[in-house]
Amino acid sequence: MMGQLYSVGRNIEAKVMKFVSKALIVSLMGASLLAGAAHAATTDKKIALSNNYAGNSWRQAMLKSFESVGKKAVADKVVAKVDVFTTADRAVPTQAAQIQNLILQRYNAIVLNASSPSALNGAVRQACSAGIIVVSFDSIVTEPCAWRITVDYNAMGRQQVAELARLQPKGGNLLEIRGLAGTSTDAKIHGGITEGLKNYPQFKVVRSVTGDWDQTTAQKNISAVLPSLPPIVGVVSQGGDGYGAAQAFAAARKPRPTIMLGNRQDELAWWQQQKQDGYRTWSASISPGISSFAFWVAQQILDGKPVPKDITIPYLAFTQENFEAELKAIPKGGVASKDYTQAGAIAIITKK
Amino acid sequence: MTRVADMFSERPWALSFFGAVLVWLASIAFTGGMGGGDMLTSAMALATFMVIVGVGQMFVITLGPGNVDLSLPANIGLSSAVAMKVMNNDDSLVAVGLLAAAGSGFAIGIANYLLIRALRIPPIIATLSASFIIQSIAISYGRGLQIKPPDGFADFANAQLLGLPVLALGTILFTIAAAILLQRTLFGRGVLATGQNMNAAHLAGVPVERIRTITYAMCGLLGGLNGALLAAYFRGASNDLGSEYLLASIAVAVIGGTSVAGGKANLPGIWGASLFLVLLLTMLNTFGASPGVRMVLSGAIIVGVITIAGGRPSGR
Repeated sequence: MMGQLYSVGRNIEAKVMKFVSKALIVSLMGASLLAGAAHAATTDKKIALSNNYAGNSWRQAMLKSFESVGKKAVADKVVAKVDVFTTADRAVPTQAAQIQNLILQRYNAIVLNASSPSALNGAVRQACSAGIIVVSFDSIVTEPCAWRITVDYNAMGRQQVAELARLQPKGGNLLEIRGLAGTSTDAKIHGGITEGLKNYPQFKVVRSVTGDWDQTTAQKNISAVLPSLPPIVGVVSQGGDGYGAAQAFAAARKPRPTIMLGNRQDELAWWQQQKQDGYRTWSASISPGISSFAFWVAQQILDGKPVPKDITIPYLAFTQENFEAELKAIPKGGVASKDYTQAGAIAIITKK
Repeated sequence: MTRVADMFSERPWALSFFGAVLVWLASIAFTGGMGGGDMLTSAMALATFMVIVGVGQMFVITLGPGNVDLSLPANIGLSSAVAMKVMNNDDSLVAVGLLAAAGSGFAIGIANYLLIRALRIPPIIATLSASFIIQSIAISYGRGLQIKPPDGFADFANAQLLGLPVLALGTILFTIAAAILLQRTLFGRGVLATGQNMNAAHLAGVPVERIRTITYAMCGLLGGLNGALLAAYFRGASNDLGSEYLLASIAVAVIGGTSVAGGKANLPGIWGASLFLVLLLTMLNTFGASPGVRMVLSGAIIVGVITIAGGRPSGR
């Protein structure tokens, strides 16, 4: 009901007559059809997801979230068609070609997890000039005509240090695991951690290694430096690398530090194991469900709603108290995720 | 000085061990002697995986110009998932899982050879395009999930005997067997002969095509086994598990004294080169080099070493 009033109120242009008449019909037909009418402006719209890599658990969960929310939206007659397209090789030209195909197939909106922040700008501009709405998320594009959805990585980095200060009040030496070099995500999380450390001078980062958000890479690089390091009390990380860090410390027969985790099932399962002897830590990461949020953003734009070009959504965190409940819901080897509902997405979009 | 040069030209593998010792000394000089032994232990463990695929790649490269297996990373990714799924977190199924991984790798090797032979595609293109197919199979098979190994198998892969990783000890035995296979059997001599001159070998009665089949299949099989062992060591299979072994498998063969032109192989050198590459990474990590600097330096050093190694006169 709220959504309906909202949409009627906002559409004061040509569509208003159509809406008013629909609203009248709906009020006659009863409450059961309210939802459908509220989205009347997008019932004939087609939305596509363009993605460039599917080989890890995060991307798989991201695709699944988009697909399931999209399917439901089609069943609810919010939109006409939702399709997921993914390439396998992370290559820019393949994804550019894919976007061009989507333009030819006349999708009304393309939701995009980009293989490059700038190299896809040409294809994105073509889509925009063809009148297609482009919403980029996670790995965003810099082309101004596209919308950009990111996570507050800086806050995530700062909060990690705050949590660590709570768990290790005496402070000590830290090991930092960095993400993929050169990405904005890595720079932002690292920036947040650096800012956070200014408030807690009792900590000192004695070495930083590259983990590429990947368990194996993290374990390999940490194993290489561990023998040369003084005792470590905590590990600050970027997600996907915590379990590898734990394994590296175990393999080197070194005492287990407080490792900040990243919401992967194996990380949380490891946490549950360690918890038995009183181990405490904190876990945070970007939810793969950001794709479902991007879906609703595209739908809202198609619906004619005012949506800011840059949207920041909160990261997903778990504490000692609530991680075990979440662990049960994550598939083995998967990652914690949160699908967005339309109402939940609108709340974030309209929040100032 | 000339005696040192002679020593290296007669024993091409000595150079790679020399390099490994050099980077190790540089790292412990930096830490003031701290953790030198632990560094070696962890380098041994990581080098093991390079040696296993390096040996497979070495046999393929020895087949002659243009022969190379670029499908190893994809092969490792798929086989690791196959092994972990078959083992199903049950220690009694480890042998079955290893067999399955070896089987999947073997099948990939045979498929590579068929692409090269039946469709007459150059190995570089054939194995690279095969890896796209394998990768897609791996993605739909594993769904990108990290599948965990059974605990007993993972503990075995991480086990140490007198400070030496058990896997490394096993792999040393395997390398000795591979050296015998190369130098003392009809098959090994056939690989070398094929690499020196395929036509001459054929005319001399060497079953060239059968030897190429077996070599590609063996390389695939080793890649598959490596995938299973990697998944056990890192406690989880994933599609990206093998990504570093594309360059590494070729680099360890070439740095270790195997001729890119084929016909000349060297097994001890594979160990030296693998230890060198792993310790090089350790050194750059110990120095705290930024990722950019690390990549540039390791690239430059690999190119430099291959130039020096390739420039020396052939032993005999």
